[in-house]
Amino acid sequence: MDVIEAVGLGKRYGRKWGLRDCTLSVPAGCVTGLVGPNGSGKTTLLSLAVGMIRPTAGTVRVAGETAGSLAARDLTAFVAQDAPLYQNLPVRDMLRVARNLNVRWDRERAVSRLDGLGIPLKQRVGALSGGQKAQLALTIALARRPELLVLDEPLAALDPLARADFMTSVREAVAADQISAVFSTHVVAELEQVADYLIVLGRGTVLLSGTTAELTAAHGGQSPEQVILSALRENAEHAQGQAQGVAR
Amino acid sequence: MTAAAIPSRRERAAARPVPWTRLTWVAWRQHRAALAGAAALLGAIGAYLAYTGWEIHRAYDAYTACVPASMRVQPLGGLVMGGPRACLPAARAFFSYYGSGQGSVLKSGLNAQTIPFLLLAVPVLLGAFVGGPVLARELESGTFRFAWTQGAGRVRQAAARLVPLAVVLTAAACGLSALFSWYIGSFVQAGVTGKYPMQLFGDMGTDFAAWTLFSFALTAFAGVLLRRTVPAMAASIVVLTALDVVTIMALRQHYAAPVVVTGDGPTGNTNLVLGNWFTTTSGVPVSQDTVLNAFARLPFGVTPSTAMLADHHWLQWWSYQPASRWWQFQLTEGGWLLAASLLLIAGTVLLIRRRPA
Repeated sequence: MDVIEAVGLGKRYGRKWGLRDCTLSVPAGCVTGLVGPNGSGKTTLLSLAVGMIRPTAGTVRVAGETAGSLAARDLTAFVAQDAPLYQNLPVRDMLRVARNLNVRWDRERAVSRLDGLGIPLKQRVGALSGGQKAQLALTIALARRPELLVLDEPLAALDPLARADFMTSVREAVAADQISAVFSTHVVAELEQVADYLIVLGRGTVLLSGTTAELTAAHGGQSPEQVILSALRENAEHAQGQAQGVAR
Repeated sequence: MTAAAIPSRRERAAARPVPWTRLTWVAWRQHRAALAGAAALLGAIGAYLAYTGWEIHRAYDAYTACVPASMRVQPLGGLVMGGPRACLPAARAFFSYYGSGQGSVLKSGLNAQTIPFLLLAVPVLLGAFVGGPVLARELESGTFRFAWTQGAGRVRQAAARLVPLAVVLTAAACGLSALFSWYIGSFVQAGVTGKYPMQLFGDMGTDFAAWTLFSFALTAFAGVLLRRTVPAMAASIVVLTALDVVTIMALRQHYAAPVVVTGDGPTGNTNLVLGNWFTTTSGVPVSQDTVLNAFARLPFGVTPSTAMLADHHWLQWWSYQPASRWWQFQLTEGGWLLAASLLLIAGTVLLIRRRPA
């Protein structure tokens, strides 16, 4: 069973394709890392999966529901890059806003989680540290009791310590709630410690996918990091070759 | 690592939309500061109108109690007052609320003559300041990526913000407009001014509320289009002011075909006079100069009477909108503004639905 299924998925912005002819499956019950350089279509793919934008071509289903539908929205929690939240609200009101925007809402869970993290409800969101803000966004996402947690570049704005804490939280939540998580990243280092499954995206297409163990086994025992880098390098050289071919 | 996590579609309870009341609470929480600001502005203006209006009504009561109705001469430019000498102070006191009593707008500052002009700016500003941030702030701060991906979809969220805010704002504008009508009522009753001049027409009836609603809808729409609050407000204020001026100068008098009469024409200042011209009795136009030269000895500013014109076989014609059409005009303008506002609100929701966020 796959939690995200994309078939021939494409998204065009004006004349430029942000994602083109993308067919992939994200397995359920895993923490999946979506890896690729900037501009490879990660954010576009995730935005399509959470229903923020509509595909130009193809389809994408989330937990069996059409992405963007009421049913899919109800099952998918999304933490966008930089965890955008209402800066001017106190944490308590931020929770109330989220509660009133969702049918499924587990207040107990949100409050106890924030308590455990030492984030006071009275504090203004804008006054929280980057790590706390990311944790608050994650708390709100988890309080929605989703089946799929989608995180766009959750690590980009965090310092190394906060990164480790954040991904530990995600892994714990995925295990405790028996849900699936997908996160995008352009940082290749230490991926095998946070992701069970990897999808490597290059220029809008899937270059590689598999569990970290599978990738290592298929490439003569190379570390996932090396496997990813060589795939991306090959893809970049191929693109360069094509561009030169056009130039000639 | 396996499929256990996902229940099949049949096992899940069907997803329900988030109730409107909850979404309205979110809209309230997000906009209560803007609404408080609007309430403070309207409250301050309202308090001024209520207090001054009460004073004016007292002065008007004293004036009408002293001067019998038959002796109340309609003041021309606020100057001529009839009645017994003993009533002069009461008459002066009343008319002084309408300018300095000398008809000087500049010297007198805030009075019943200048206030209506200032109030014309309120619908434009009020609508822009409340309507600007409604969706644009979400777009410019990036929080739309939070809001639009919650269980309640973006269309419902946008509607749950736009509609209640539009209703509240329109109702508040109706209230202030009613207060203004009461405030200026004594002067209308006393025959100091008709209700057709733009500064009264725009502040009374349904016009004030209709322009407020339109301003709100236009600014909200511009906000989604430009994705920035302040530029949206600025653009909206410019467009609205231009449209307001065009409406006042060129559109309003055409809401109905004017009444054309010959003879002495409409009396009093309650009608909207659009023009007057001369012809011979057989209908050939006669220039104004020709007519006025024939009566060169008349004192400046006095129009020749119908009887004098008849000696030359001339007729004077008038085209005007009678006072009785005032409400028809109000509802016509209110109607098209309401229709345009609803279209803009629908367009705003559609843009939110369609645009790649």
